[in-house]
Amino acid sequence: MRSFRKILVAAIGALALCTTTGVGAQETLKIGTSAPLSGAAAPWGLGLEWTAKQAAQAINEGGGIKAGGKTYKVEILSYDNKYNAAEGTKVAQTLLNRDNVNYIAGTIGTAPTLALQSLSERKGALLLNGAWGASSKGPKFPLSYTVINTPNEVIPPLYSYVKKHNPGLKTVAILSANDATGKETELVSRKVWESLGVKVVLSDWYERGTTEFQPIAAKIVGQKPDAIDLGAAPPGDTGALFKEVKVLGWSGIKVIPAGTSAESMMKVGGDAIDGMYTALAADFDGPQSTDVQRRLTKGMRAAIGEPMNIVQVMGYDAVMALKAGIEAANSLDPKAIAAVLPNIIFETSWGKTAFGGKDVYGSPQQLLLPIVVGQIKNGKLSELERVIPEELTKRLAAAKK
Amino acid sequence: MDIYVQLLINSLQISAVYVLFSLGLTLIFGVMRIVNFAHGEFFALAALLLAVAVPWLVGIGAPLPVAFALAFLGALGAVLVLGKLLYEFAFRRFQRDMIGSFVLSVGLALLLQGVFIEMFTGAARKLPTLIEGTVRILGGAITVQRLILCLIALLVAVAMCWAIVSTRLGKALRAVAEDHEAAMLQGVPYRRIARIGFLIGTLLAAVAGALLAPVVVISPVIGSSYLIKGFIAVVIGGLGSIPGAIIGSILIAVIESVGGYYFDPSLATIAMFVIVMLVLLIRPTGLMGNG
Repeated sequence: MRSFRKILVAAIGALALCTTTGVGAQETLKIGTSAPLSGAAAPWGLGLEWTAKQAAQAINEGGGIKAGGKTYKVEILSYDNKYNAAEGTKVAQTLLNRDNVNYIAGTIGTAPTLALQSLSERKGALLLNGAWGASSKGPKFPLSYTVINTPNEVIPPLYSYVKKHNPGLKTVAILSANDATGKETELVSRKVWESLGVKVVLSDWYERGTTEFQPIAAKIVGQKPDAIDLGAAPPGDTGALFKEVKVLGWSGIKVIPAGTSAESMMKVGGDAIDGMYTALAADFDGPQSTDVQRRLTKGMRAAIGEPMNIVQVMGYDAVMALKAGIEAANSLDPKAIAAVLPNIIFETSWGKTAFGGKDVYGSPQQLLLPIVVGQIKNGKLSELERVIPEELTKRLAAAKK
Repeated sequence: MDIYVQLLINSLQISAVYVLFSLGLTLIFGVMRIVNFAHGEFFALAALLLAVAVPWLVGIGAPLPVAFALAFLGALGAVLVLGKLLYEFAFRRFQRDMIGSFVLSVGLALLLQGVFIEMFTGAARKLPTLIEGTVRILGGAITVQRLILCLIALLVAVAMCWAIVSTRLGKALRAVAEDHEAAMLQGVPYRRIARIGFLIGTLLAAVAGALLAPVVVISPVIGSSYLIKGFIAVVIGGLGSIPGAIIGSILIAVIESVGGYYFDPSLATIAMFVIVMLVLLIRPTGLMGNG
């Protein structure tokens, strides 16, 4: 009798499991994100998670994603990669082996993204990533697409603008994080500064998680550079470093290609970051932004307490790119989706855009987005220039014909 | 900027933080013979509570110095309550058990970090500056807040040394640290002294976290980075030795400051670990340890 009862319970349990997983697999697409949700870069990760969930909500409320005659809802699964490769590997294992996701839409950090990519490409999962390094792109990685502007896109227009408006700029000190993101950014930074006739007097490295910036600040100020370039440092580190160099009496040109929200940097650095040039900060309340971006930044202020920035909005754009890819391929197969992505024009928070960049990376895996050159003035961000990539302009014009 | 003076000032201000942190770590080891890897979480909790309480108090109309003072006392109280709970329900059972306490404290550190991330989110926080201004000393520069932090660290270190040498409690702590069985035979109430020692160590971590909160970026993982440096300092100085913790802290601060300037911050960190290995090989009890 007891054995019969055990078998009955097991059978009912198995049936319930089959039923629920069956329904879930048919109706809900799980989408993963891998971003820092703790530490100095947490504002990026928390914001990315929030925008990805906003995209999921918009899709679900709009009727879901349609493919193969069925409609699917989406669900976002977010994990903390702590901006390092070791945690990125754990997140990769969790997403791809435990949660069995086929799509990752939104990652932050080159090292954790590369750790994830090594598994996602093997497992045949689609990776819409935010790696800043160029090493995640190319024909070797057919299932990987970058959904944020990266050094090759943003650094040339940013530095050109800075040099044009500061003709006396002759020397620069570069400080980069001692990881894949920092190293790949430094290569591009050094090359572009030198091409503009600016001498790199110091290129130094620091560990993410550094809490005492005084020794680094003393070293940089000792070189007496006209400008300090912080590469891809997160907002907390940027504010802390510029605060320390101000204590030492330095007041030159401040540049940070990955500088995002003025508020986050101001919280830490106060007026020490005033005048800083950025390339990943946009005024999403301003007239140049879209209705979606204005709505998202308003929501993010309420949810997270700060306005949205370009790193954070990537979560929304990645999920929307995935939706467009699935519907264009009319399939859930990541390989089929990856095959159609370079050919379609689709809606993101920025409006219509497409993947390109074949000339630079060897395959069209880079989302073509406006490049926003900004400057922090009196604690607020002002957009100085918004450059639309030539390739995008051509693609949109061709699509109109 | 006179670079030599600046390097000296940098070394002093960094060592002030490490001294405050490592004093508690070494005291707990001395009394209980446990390396408390959850020590950084006491430090982090105090800083996080200040980061939450100060803006809230200012928001309801309290002047900034009053908000700081109230939040400071509240944070110390909350950390002491947590320390007492952890002592009674966990550490008390693993006294003088190096392996058991190692596993316990590492597990608690991970657990508390997870709880803090859930409670406070992982976002980095920054408190408003309490005292504005920079002081110039012989061509070097330091903020007024950091200078006050250095002076408080100096006071705490002096007070600790005096208390250990001159008070009944200090003598009991030393007796227990040297030979707890002999101390018990002399009538020293070991359990009570161990509890007090643990709570003083916890309080020192909370004081360090609360004092440092206005000058650093606060996140739930902030304790980990200070724990590593604090641990290196007490290993070099000698586990359980108060003067050793102070000397070890100053030494690693000098390496971080001078090594980071002339070489590379990463090389400076490597140098610290090399020195730890050399100390363990040549003098395993540390510079001031008595075994």
